[in-house]
Amino acid sequence: MANTIIGSSIIIDGEISGDEDLVIQGTVKGKISLRESLFVEGSGVVEADIETQNVEVAGRVTGNIAASDKVELKSDCRVVGDIRAPRILIADGASFKGNVDMDVKER
Amino acid sequence: MANAKGLTETGNTVIGQSILISGKLSGDEDLTVRGRVEGELSLSHTLIVEPSGVVKANVSVKNAIVSGVVVGNITATESVELTREGRMVGDINAPRVIIVDGASFRGRIDMGEAEPGRQASERPVSRPVVRAAPTLPSRPMIPAPSRAMPAPQPVRAPPPPPPPPARPAPPPAPVAKAKPVPPPPPARPATKPAPPPPPPPVTVAAGGKKKVMLKKRGR
Repeated sequence: MANTIIGSSIIIDGEISGDEDLVIQGTVKGKISLRESLFVEGSGVVEADIETQNVEVAGRVTGNIAASDKVELKSDCRVVGDIRAPRILIADGASFKGNVDMDVKER
Repeated sequence: MANAKGLTETGNTVIGQSILISGKLSGDEDLTVRGRVEGELSLSHTLIVEPSGVVKANVSVKNAIVSGVVVGNITATESVELTREGRMVGDINAPRVIIVDGASFRGRIDMGEAEPGRQASERPVSRPVVRAAPTLPSRPMIPAPSRAMPAPQPVRAPPPPPPPPARPAPPPAPVAKAKPVPPPPPARPATKPAPPPPPPPVTVAAGGKKKVMLKKRGR
């Protein structure tokens, strides 16, 4: 499936929705809702509420994350907000501030 | 895995087919749209709208290549090109506008009136290429271009002596005739600044005059 990439110099202020993987290297403010995976890479900055199946964060996220499957915070990420997902992984070195809720009846 | 894939393509933004972005989008790199973008779009580089792409936005970019659908105005600092599959409704404001046979467009075009001397010298570089494509349709279809390209046609109309489609018998003859038609060749080469006394070549409209100049320089 086509892969969507938001490049590092791109700034989006608004809503993104779709049914495919999304890679963010730039800046997104607003709201993101996907039915697939979201990757916030090291250079990526997200100030948005996120609703997806999977999220992998290596960059910065400010906002609430709700995933139907899994949220993974990689070692250099910085996340501020609440996370709701049945599986949540936080790697050594990740910085996170917010609530975690794994009590989602999914799977 | 997918992460690595993303990293290899750094620097090129692609909006995939199923993605909808509504809001403001800005950036300093090329952007390829295969999905939908609504709102406002400003780039300092090139916007490429692929056949599956839909942009409903006011767009300001350096270059735009439209093979999909654009509804909204485009302001480009360099060029706007509507390809064969491109469809657009809205106004175009750019120094170079290219509309290829098969494209559909409704709206205004403003190329910014050519200042006599300078802009003209910039243009011929790319124009001949631009003109060449639609003028010589490689396919036999004749009526198509007239429908698809409303803008360039009136310009071409004034020098009509060679209507090649009308007579199939002597095809090379009219072409040969057409070229020597512009009679004042050495009068004003590109290097000269615009001569204030306007040399009236014939009673040709402003558009027709421009065209003559272009032809000369193109060769």
